[in-house]
Amino acid sequence: MIAVEDLRKRYGKTLAVDGLSFTVEPGRVVGFLGPNGAGKTTTLRILLGLVHANSGEATILGKHYGQLERPFCQVGAVLEASGFHPGRKARNHLRVLARAGRAPVKRVDEVLALVGLEGAAKKRVGGYSLGMRQRLALASALLGDPGVLILDEPANGLDPEGIRWLRDFLRSLADEGRAVLVSSHVLAEVEQTVDEVVIINKGKFVAHGSVEELKRGVEERVKVSSPKAKELEAKLVKAGFEVSEDGNALLVAGATCAQVGEIAAKSSLVLHELTPLATQLEDVFFDLTSEEQT
Amino acid sequence: MIAALSSEWLKIRTTRTIFWLLVALAGLITLIVVSSILAGDKESLARATNQRDLLGIGILSVLIALIMGLIVSTGEFRHGTITPTLLSTPSRPLVVISKAIAAVLLGVTLVALAELLVVAEMAALLPLRGIDFVLDGGDAARVVIRILAISAIWAAIGSGLGLAFKNQIGTFVGCFAWLFLAEGLVQAILSSHWIKSHAGRFLPLSSTSSILNNNATNAKEHMLSYWGGAAALSGWMLLATILALILLSRRDVS
Repeated sequence: MIAVEDLRKRYGKTLAVDGLSFTVEPGRVVGFLGPNGAGKTTTLRILLGLVHANSGEATILGKHYGQLERPFCQVGAVLEASGFHPGRKARNHLRVLARAGRAPVKRVDEVLALVGLEGAAKKRVGGYSLGMRQRLALASALLGDPGVLILDEPANGLDPEGIRWLRDFLRSLADEGRAVLVSSHVLAEVEQTVDEVVIINKGKFVAHGSVEELKRGVEERVKVSSPKAKELEAKLVKAGFEVSEDGNALLVAGATCAQVGEIAAKSSLVLHELTPLATQLEDVFFDLTSEEQT
Repeated sequence: MIAALSSEWLKIRTTRTIFWLLVALAGLITLIVVSSILAGDKESLARATNQRDLLGIGILSVLIALIMGLIVSTGEFRHGTITPTLLSTPSRPLVVISKAIAAVLLGVTLVALAELLVVAEMAALLPLRGIDFVLDGGDAARVVIRILAISAIWAAIGSGLGLAFKNQIGTFVGCFAWLFLAEGLVQAILSSHWIKSHAGRFLPLSSTSSILNNNATNAKEHMLSYWGGAAALSGWMLLATILALILLSRRDVS
């Protein structure tokens, strides 16, 4: 549905996107992750025909965005929460887009209700909070009832309730068979929402897979604390584990609880805590992007 | 095309800018018409030609049309609405052309409203001073049609320049500096003792003046015929539109 192939974009001396390739299939929510300046927004804007690539292909449904028959009804996009005239009412903003994009005008009220803005539809956007603008941007993206959604940081400005709403909302959109590509820097949020992630760094592809697959590639860690922490640390290092301090506890990389427990027992060391640390998407992200940087 | 044009027209109608510019235009026109009629010479005001000349006040709407043309285009960049605009209408030439046509429609509407107001005020105020309202229909139509054409073209010039240069303040300053300062200077330099060129007749304000003040045949050294003026001013509109087409098509919207 979405295909990016060997994409390159240069701004002056900076190579913003460097040979990037990935695909997004229908019915999947794909997280598009990378540090600030990784080239996420540039890639999304190239996909949507707003930025010209130097080389490579970025297609949706097999075509460039501008070549789609009814692009606005086939692809919905949220790129920023600032694309509104402050003096225009929310409903009129959507009417303007519906007319240009040839979306049915009755969808205006439907999408306003869908994002919970029906009560503020006749307010000028200048009086909207950031969260309300984000919801309005989502409403704009859904106007044409598109099969593909491209969302750049859609959780920005949403309160915790809004974020939970967005998570369920994206899930329901994917369950309807839509392809959703969502970039975000709130990794914990993405982890609960996406089926798979594409990680990029400095414009280059780093990894693509399900969160579980990527987590498997990251070393397990164990948190352990003991009144004789120094002695325990020495024993663990001697056994070949990488150990770091975390307050009064030790973090042991690449070890299981059983291995740490056995080493402590052999040395008759008392343990106060022995906890396996669940690998978070954040760990995967930092692991992969730091590998890329070194 | 119809979808894009209809959307552009809705954009113009759904902000308060147009309302306040209309109020400003109506206020200015009223001020000038009322003071002209109440303070003017009674004998002079009774002549049909002088009553026709009062319709020339509608030329003020040309300035408002240019301002609106600039606002509708540069506003897209100022407020970031160019992104949703290009998502809903990905063809950039279509965006340029639909904005130009919407600006033309706006220019025509502004003049029509302005002239209606002038006529209504004349019809109401002249009898108060015991003067008959004797405006010649054919004469009046000729003045109004010229102003309509000028206003439409200037609105499209504003729209094109706004899309080409995108910076609202910079484009406004540039336009007004040209209108109130630079064109006069260029005109003076071209017609000076050293250059002795009549090319200044083709400049935007001179062309406008030719459409407004001249007739079909009597092109002069310092002025084109009104057809010549219309052609020259249309040329400037075409240039602004082509510039917008080239620059917007090449530009990354980020």
